[in-house]
Amino acid sequence: MAEMTSKQITSENSGLWLIKIITGLLIIVILAIHLVVNHMLGTEGGLLTYADVVAYYQNPIIPIMEAAFLICVVSHCLIGLRSIIIDLHPSQKVLTNITWLLTALGAVSIVYGIWLLFAIVAQG
Amino acid sequence: MSNLRNKPSSSNWFKWFDPRRRDVGTFAFILNRLTALGLTLYLFLHLIVLSQLSKGPEAYDAFLKLIANPIYMLGELLVIVAVLIHGLNGIRVGLTSFGIGVSTQKQFFYALMVVAIICSLFFAARMVIG
Amino acid sequence: MINDWTVTFLVYRQKGQEPGHFDTFKVEVNPDEYVLDAVERIWSFHDRSLTFAHACHHSTCGACGMRVNGVEKLTCITPIRSVTTNGGTVKLEPMRNFPVVSDLVVDLGVMFRRMESVGHRPVLPLADEPAPTPAKPPRPEDLETIRLADCIECGLCISACPVATTTPAYLGPAVLAGAQQHGLDGNRPLLALVDCKDGLWRCHSVFECSSVCPSNVDPARRIMDLRKQVLRARILRFFGRD
Repeated sequence: MAEMTSKQITSENSGLWLIKIITGLLIIVILAIHLVVNHMLGTEGGLLTYADVVAYYQNPIIPIMEAAFLICVVSHCLIGLRSIIIDLHPSQKVLTNITWLLTALGAVSIVYGIWLLFAIVAQG
Repeated sequence: MSNLRNKPSSSNWFKWFDPRRRDVGTFAFILNRLTALGLTLYLFLHLIVLSQLSKGPEAYDAFLKLIANPIYMLGELLVIVAVLIHGLNGIRVGLTSFGIGVSTQKQFFYALMVVAIICSLFFAARMVIG
Repeated sequence: MINDWTVTFLVYRQKGQEPGHFDTFKVEVNPDEYVLDAVERIWSFHDRSLTFAHACHHSTCGACGMRVNGVEKLTCITPIRSVTTNGGTVKLEPMRNFPVVSDLVVDLGVMFRRMESVGHRPVLPLADEPAPTPAKPPRPEDLETIRLADCIECGLCISACPVATTTPAYLGPAVLAGAQQHGLDGNRPLLALVDCKDGLWRCHSVFECSSVCPSNVDPARRIMDLRKQVLRARILRFFGRD
């Protein structure tokens, strides 16, 4: 009867799928703002110099928005990657290992990104 | 004894990307999957490259000069196109997943791709002119 | 009967553990006949070793599904005229994603067992499965009339699904549609069955299943509806209201 039920964790995916959809929506919203302010405002149409970038990041709304963007994109991306991998029917052991790997990768990316934000703000 | 060929298997993954004799939904699926993989690559490249910012003004400005090269600009345009396709198709996937627009999902896809093409042309033009 | 078309059929053949190959048959057909009729004629007059599944010949039993020119079709209701022209070629292959038993026949056992495990009802009241676009709404006294279910368990949707191509664990559109037809209604085991990583959440909205379904099941719509039901049940459970 192994073909009938997935003996793995039930309902594991409905939460993740919801997060994928919600982060997807948030990405669209924040990306629009991110594109407009990063590349269309500022001196001569966009953040063309280092000084521009630093000045722009002094406004506290900006690093907060960018941090939210980072978290949304990394989550959406890695949950999506995991979905693709599950489509390839890995064994439970392999899947658990991959899930840990992706979680670690996500955590490292987010921590690094937030550190970078602090570093840029500190330059000003 | 039944044949092992034709059984579901992970080695069939490349068949995901074969649109022949398929309906438009497969095309959307292929586009979504390809752009997802491409954008994942871009995401991590982008994050790594941003570390240049932490190295100070000279490193950053030197990097900006590097990417003014047309090859990089083409790459950037591809990323924008990928984002448009993945994002707009994603809206369709999200809505239909909640049961909204299921009966018109094909037309919705076509309309969204038209929007994607128009926006792509806009950004391409902006890149060439700017 | 005027058999005034000559059509070449490329038929997939495979016996035992040998590799598959295609046999060619030139057959005279009436274009308004169905592809299944041509297959029968090939079997009758050309090659009695050809194996194919068929029973009712009127799209009720779901036996004769196969790929015609690469596309999933129920061959008893697929006119030859709709898939080729006079002098043309028709390629016949078994359905995807099921193990081949012999030639054009595949083993649908996994699907049948799964359909039963989700409680798909082959007969049910009209109220539970009305026509999608009725000419006029059913009368209240007719709602208890029982009818045959739309789903004839032909397997074409699973053949068309790209997720079913790479993982045997995915329940598949037919089974999920069957679960939706049965109804969740606080049925905990059924909820657990579909709300798992190889159930509802493996569907990626490709919609090929609904595209090839010969019987108005629209599995994709049912899967989306099932998702709503599952989310509702999960949210209620989360707030302790189930």
